[in-house]
Order: sequence, then structure tokens, then C-alpha cells
Amino acid sequence: MNTFLNNFPILAIMILFVGAFVTSLVGRRSALARNGVVLVSMTAALAMMLALVKPVLLDGQIITYWLGNWEPVEGWAFGICLEVDALSLFFGLIVTVAVFVSGVYSFTYMNHDDSLVNYYTLFLMLSGSVLGLVLSGDLFNIFVMVEIMTFTAVALTAFRNTYEGALEGALKYLVVGSLGSTSLLVGIAMLYSQLHTLNLAQISALIPGQGANPVIIAAFAFLFMGFATKAFLFPFQPLAADAHAVAPASISLMISGVLTKCGVYGIIRLCYVLYENLNQPLVQYLVTGFGAVSMFICVTMAFNQHNFKRLLAFHSISQVGYVITAVGLGSALGVSAGLYHAMNHTIFKGLLFLTAGAVQHQTGSLDLDSLGGLSKRMPRTTLLFLIGAASISGLPPFNGFASKWMIYQAAFQRGAATGNFFFLFVCIVALITSVLTLASFIKVAQSVFFGQLPEQYKEVKEVPLAMRIPMWILAVLCIVTGLFPTQVQNYLLLPATSAAFNAANYIDQAMGLGYAAAHGIATGGVAGLMVSDCWNPTSWLMLLFCITCAVAIVALLASPNDLKDAHISSCDEQAEVLDAKYESFFSGEESVYSQVGGSDLFWGFKHNWRKYFSYMHDWHSGIVNDYTLYGVVAIAFVLLACIILL
Amino acid sequence: MNVLLSSLFHVLIFPGLLFCVVMGVLLSGLDRIWVARMQRRVGPPLLQSWYDFLKCCGKETIVPRHAKKAVYFAAPVVGFAALISISLFLPIAGGKPAYSGTADLVVILYLLTLVSVCTIVGASASGSPFAGVGLSREMVAMISYELPFVLVILAVSRAILAPGDSLNNIFSLQAIADYQAANGPLITRWALIPAAIAMLFVIPCEVGMHPFDVAEAETEICEGTLAEYSGPPLAVFRLTHMVKMFIMTALFCVLFLGGITTGIAVLDVILFVLFCLILTFLTMSLPHGACARFKVEQVFKFYWTVVAGLAALSLILVWLGL
Repeated sequence: MNTFLNNFPILAIMILFVGAFVTSLVGRRSALARNGVVLVSMTAALAMMLALVKPVLLDGQIITYWLGNWEPVEGWAFGICLEVDALSLFFGLIVTVAVFVSGVYSFTYMNHDDSLVNYYTLFLMLSGSVLGLVLSGDLFNIFVMVEIMTFTAVALTAFRNTYEGALEGALKYLVVGSLGSTSLLVGIAMLYSQLHTLNLAQISALIPGQGANPVIIAAFAFLFMGFATKAFLFPFQPLAADAHAVAPASISLMISGVLTKCGVYGIIRLCYVLYENLNQPLVQYLVTGFGAVSMFICVTMAFNQHNFKRLLAFHSISQVGYVITAVGLGSALGVSAGLYHAMNHTIFKGLLFLTAGAVQHQTGSLDLDSLGGLSKRMPRTTLLFLIGAASISGLPPFNGFASKWMIYQAAFQRGAATGNFFFLFVCIVALITSVLTLASFIKVAQSVFFGQLPEQYKEVKEVPLAMRIPMWILAVLCIVTGLFPTQVQNYLLLPATSAAFNAANYIDQAMGLGYAAAHGIATGGVAGLMVSDCWNPTSWLMLLFCITCAVAIVALLASPNDLKDAHISSCDEQAEVLDAKYESFFSGEESVYSQVGGSDLFWGFKHNWRKYFSYMHDWHSGIVNDYTLYGVVAIAFVLLACIILL
Repeated sequence: MNVLLSSLFHVLIFPGLLFCVVMGVLLSGLDRIWVARMQRRVGPPLLQSWYDFLKCCGKETIVPRHAKKAVYFAAPVVGFAALISISLFLPIAGGKPAYSGTADLVVILYLLTLVSVCTIVGASASGSPFAGVGLSREMVAMISYELPFVLVILAVSRAILAPGDSLNNIFSLQAIADYQAANGPLITRWALIPAAIAMLFVIPCEVGMHPFDVAEAETEICEGTLAEYSGPPLAVFRLTHMVKMFIMTALFCVLFLGGITTGIAVLDVILFVLFCLILTFLTMSLPHGACARFKVEQVFKFYWTVVAGLAALSLILVWLGL
């Protein structure tokens, strides 16, 4: 193996952390130097991850790096280890791309704020900790990284501390986030007490020898809930909403696109590699159940939101619910679908948060009830928003469709194979959640970008190019990953999925060949890991052809009207001075602002569900004590379920 | 070259653009005549919908001042194209579909969604408050029929799976057609009859026909989603509406009435058209003549309780292996 490449994982993490400290040293003198340091460290981390693509994803190698060359002695791993397999690198790529986009966006987006040195220092520490988490090969470092991640994220959430609710949101995140970290720590301590090691590979090798040791099982419950907190799964979703609503948009991107992915990564690592227990029905029910409940409750909660970013926050958890649901199915198709959706979620949700940020940057408001008609003033942002909204609602040919399509198949397949009604129900919930997602993005489109333009936003300008470039990067990724799912599957998903199913290889690469076999772990991974055919975009070439035909026909039919049309649009500009009787909607009456407010848009639906909504409204009380209680109850529930039933 | 020509033929002639438009005009014309007869009127000529379309095309296009022009013009075209592309997935009259993908039922489900979304986004881009109310209703109607529709799709997909079948080809229309060619139409399976009835209810709501046309209620909200449209874009929307009548009835035929064949391709197509006519009468003309429009919350309640209940019953029966 190329020894030079071997150093890339640690270098990528180091350069982000070093960048953080250098930023705080040089940043006070010159904004240019500060931005330069940030840009260089982000780009370097991204480039190193890309350089690892060939050996790890394409050739299937696993890169292990022992800090200080403390390699395992006689089958015991004492040193700190980084272990990068395809699964880690897959998430590493997601993280570095998201960090890069978010950082570039911040340069212009944050220019209204002061003390930016603190912002970038925290930002780079957050990035480094997240990258460290997904590349780490031992459990305690995962915990350390989770701690750094949580605290920097809390600080960044409250960065605009003059905003109403900023400190409150950060406090909630801090308190309940600590609950999750504590749960992780307890799980790690339990494992350590039983197995006397913290190395992931060694733990994974030793667990089967423990049989039905209740402490090991309890550790599983604690670790699972710890990662679930980091992914904001039900019942932790109110935190995400409060944090996202007040955080800067670039940080919202990080929280939804990167931090929740750490939870997802943790759950995959835990269930597939560490415990290898996703073949047990109870674990499947547990993981899939948590995913499905989060998916549904969050999408209905999004219906009631008045704040653009709160709405996006609930959708974020809903989409993570999709990911967890798919991962919990325990089949190869499920894992690849989940990974695909995880990647897509980072892309489209990032894009949506950035458009929300653009709206906030230009108008100063995120209130769905007072905004409107911005498509006239910000046409490019509108286009970007529509791409993001179509992706998250799963409209073909965007990427959300390709991954949801796999998730439905995975859930149905699992249900048909086991004859179990639970998985069928999950499939139905997933399909319905998709249409509800669509509905709430229609609501955003109608109440922010279309409809009537309120008086106070008449002078709003389009965002500068420097903010549109990061958005375009994500928008292009939305389209590319949607149009070429076969390639995505072959080069990204299949290697990562095989890594998830090949715990023995993971162990052997860290602990020396034959270690897994000596501890009774089946080697060779899962044979025939071919998941089913991909959604084939060839049909889309046909569709595009149809569209061109239809356009041609319309153009032909409409051609005699072209002159009149031009005339009308030229009138359009002068229309403001005309008499009110030419106002189109009010038959001669003077025009009034009469748009249906965003939150009242789907009255017919909400009326029928009013009891549910009023219950959920009470449930999301906004009191941190309540949220902590929900968390404790959930941990207790999972603990009891695991100990009694496993 | 041959491949290109044959796909051109599929896209433009059969079952693509031309066939869909002809069928749409035919079904819509007959529907208007039947409704007229039920109301003791003579009714318009058969091609009236086509004349309306042509007339609209010749009219001036007025773009409202609040509209976002690009979206306002693109929405009807994209919606229409997406709708036509659905026909390429349908194995019409026992033949092979022009384009066969994996899990194409899900693709069709989402393409139908895309068509409605185009209506909604177009309405939204027109900036009118009436369109705003209309799109809200359209969306609620969509949520309403989506649940039973999904349940029907799941029930049918499960019904054709025999124990031991490979699970790599689920949600495939081709597999459904093949199964019916071997075992007779699915409607003859008693466990699927509730699902078929549910699907009959889904058709008019998806098309937006009278008792369920909450989104386009002329008398209350000035045609809602279409309030601001005029000229060729309106004509395209009208045509979309007609073609949707054909696509939905054809989908029903493919799901439940497959495998009925005479052995001669032309006769099969005529038989297929006949089924579409009967379904149009049953699901669209008859309720149109008999019922007054529902309120939007009634539509939602009806679909999520009665219709979804029927579909769920079928799904449970099928899942239990009946």
C-alpha cells in the first residue's frame, strides 16, 4: 500500500484543527488572511478525501493508521487508531463536501456579523471533529469527537445571540445533547468494563464471544440512543427545530447535513460492524421503528411551521428518518438505499438551507406568513429553491426520487420476504410522508417565492454571485446524482455497503490477518451483494424528448401571439401607474394584499387532523425539562426492550 | 437507426403523443355527451373538446402582472410532457410497454404527482389569490387520493408474488401484465375486488372530475388553479386534463383488466379502448351527473376513511395469502 496515502486521514483531520487555531491567531489582523486559512484547510481536507477515493472505494482497501505507531501487541490494541474503510470514506466525502460548500457560502453570508474570527474557529473545529468521528477507529475517540462537535455546534447555534430564541435554542441543544453524550459515554464505559478495549475492530471481534451478556446488550441500547440523539431522531426532534431556526444558514447546513450524518454513521457502524446484530428481528424493529416514527411525526410537524428554517429543520429529521428506516431493514438493498438517501439529504437539504439563508440575508425575515412574491426579485434563488424542493419531494429526475425509489423497494422486499406486516406498514408510511413533504414545500414555494409581493420587499435584490456559487454546486450535484444512479451505486454505494456487511475484513485490517477468524467471525463478507437494478434515467431521455416535442408544438401554436405577448409585457412595466380598475383580481375594486398565509394553506387537511395537531402542539411544549424527560424515557424504553427481549 | 425510429414512433404516435391526445379527446367528448344525456340535454359534438382546444390556442395570452413568466409558461408544458411519458410505461392491450423500467409503478406514481405539481406551481406562479386557494385545494385532494392509490399499488404488487418468487422485480407493470396473461385478470381475484373499487374512486379525484374537482371549482373560486391562464397555456392545461382521463383509465385496465386477449393486436387495442370508455362512464360521467361537488375537507375524509379502508382491506387479504 502507498504509505504516503496512509497519512491522509490523520492529515485531513489535523489540517482542519490546525486551521482553526491559525485562524484565531491571524484572523484578527486581516479578514483576507482569515478567509484564506479557512479556504486552504477546507480545500486540503476535501482534496485528501478525494485522493483516498481510488484506493478505498474503487480498489476496496482499508487504510489503518496507528498514531505514534502504537500497533496492536499480541492481539490487544492499545494505541489510537484511524481506520478508513469504504463506509467511513463515504461519510468522509459527504462531510468534506458539505464543509467546503458551507465555508464558501459563509464568506459572503456572514458579512453582516462581527467577531467572525470566533465563527471560523468554531466552524473549523466542528468540521475537524466530524471528520475525526467518521474516520476514527476507536470508540473513545468517537466520544471525544462527539463532545467537540456538540459544543462547537451549540456555540455556533447561539452565534447570532441577538436573535430572539438563539440562546434558548442553544441551551436546549446543550442540555439534551449532553444527555445523548452521556448515554454514549455510559455505553462505552460498559463495553470497556467487559471487553477491556476501546478499539472498534477488537470490540467487534470480542462481542460474539460474550454470548448474551446483559451488560453488552445494555451498552448497545445506550450507544444506539447516543447516536440517535446526534441524529435528532424522535423524540429529540424539537431540539433540531429550535437550533436550526436561530442558527446561521451555513451552520444549519452543517447541523442537518453533517451532524445528523454522524448519528447515521454511528448507527450503521454500531449495528452492522460492531454488533452485527441487524439480522435479529428486534433490532430491525427498533431501528426501523425509530426511523419511521421520526419520518412521519416530523413531516406532520412541518405542516404547522411559520418559520422557513424551522420547517426545513423538521423536514431534515423526517428525511433522516427515511435513512434510518432503510438502514434498519437489514438488507443490502436497504443499506445502499439508506446511504444513497443520506448523501442526497446532505445535498438537497444543504441547498434548501442555503436558499433560506439567501432569503434571510436579503429580506431579513424567515416568516412564511409575511414573505411572498420573491420570485420577481430573486429569480435565481427561486430556481435553486425549486430544484431543492423537487429533490426533497422526490420528483423525478432529481436525486431524492432515485433514493426514495430504492427505499420503497427495500421496505416492500423485506416485507414480502418475511411476510411481516410491520415492514409493509413502514413502506406505506414512507410513501405518504413523501407526498406530505411535497405539500409543505408547495406551501413554502407559494408563500415565499410566488404569490403577491408585499410592499416592504419591493426593493429586495438578488443575492451576490459569491453566495450563488455554493448553491449551484449543490444544485448541480442534485441533478447529477439523480441522473446517474447506476454510477453512484457502482462507485459509491456498493463499496460502502459491502464494507458495512464485511465486519471480518474491518477487524483483520486493524488487528492483523486471521484475528477475526480466530474469534469466530465469518469472513468473506456477504456473497452476491448485488442489489437490484437501478432506476434507469434512459426513460428520462425519452421524457426530455417528449418535452421538446410539446414545447415545439406549443411554440408553433402560440407563434401568432408573439407580438401581442411582447406588447403585454411592455405594458406590464407601466402597469403600476394605471387605474386600479385594471387590477386583475378584484373586478375594479382597489387591490388589497390578499394572499392566503402560509400556515393556513392546507386547511382541508389540517381541519381533519386537528386533534392530532393540537396534541402534537402540546407535546412540543418548548420546555427543556420536558424534552429531557422524553429523552430519558426513550433511553429507558430502549434499554428495557433490549435487555428483556435480546 | 431502427431503434431511433421505433422510439420516435412510440413517443410520437403509439402509445405516445398522438394516441394519447386522440383518446383523451374521445373520452372527454363522450363524457360530455353522456353527462348531457343524463341531464336531458343533447350535448356538444364529439369533437367539442378538440374545438375548444384549438380555439384556446388562437386566443391572446395574457400574463398577469404578479406572475413569474418563465414558470407560468413552463409549468403546463412540463406537466403535459410528463403525462405523455407515463403512457410509455403502460403495457397497453397486452403488448409490451414502449419503455420498461424496474419498479415502474413507483415511477408512474411520481410522474402523476409531477403532473399535479406542475398545475400547482403554474397556479402559484400566476400570483392570483384565487389560484392560491385552488392550489391549496389541489394539494389536499392529492394527499387524499395518494393514500388509497399507494395501498392499491402495494396490494397489486403483492398479489402477483408467488411464494419463492425472486423479489428483484417488484412494482413492475410488466410483471403484472405477464401474471395476468398467465392467470387471468386480477379483478377476478376476489381479494382484490375492494382494491379495484378503491382504484375506481381514485380515478375521478386524480383527474379532477366533477364531484371531486375541488381545485377547479368554477363557481366558487373562478377555476382556482387555472384562474389566470389564457390562450395556448390554458389550452395545454385543458389537453392535459383530457389525456389524464385516458391515462388513469388505462392504468386501471393494466392493473386489473390485463390478460384479456383475442389474439389479434388491433382487436386487442379496440377492446382496450372499449374498457377505457366503460370506465370513463362508470367513474367520471356517472358521478358527474349524479352528485354535487364535495367540500375539500369532505373529500379528504372520504378518501382516507372509506376508500383507503377498502384498499387496506384488500392489502391485508392479499398479504395473508388469499
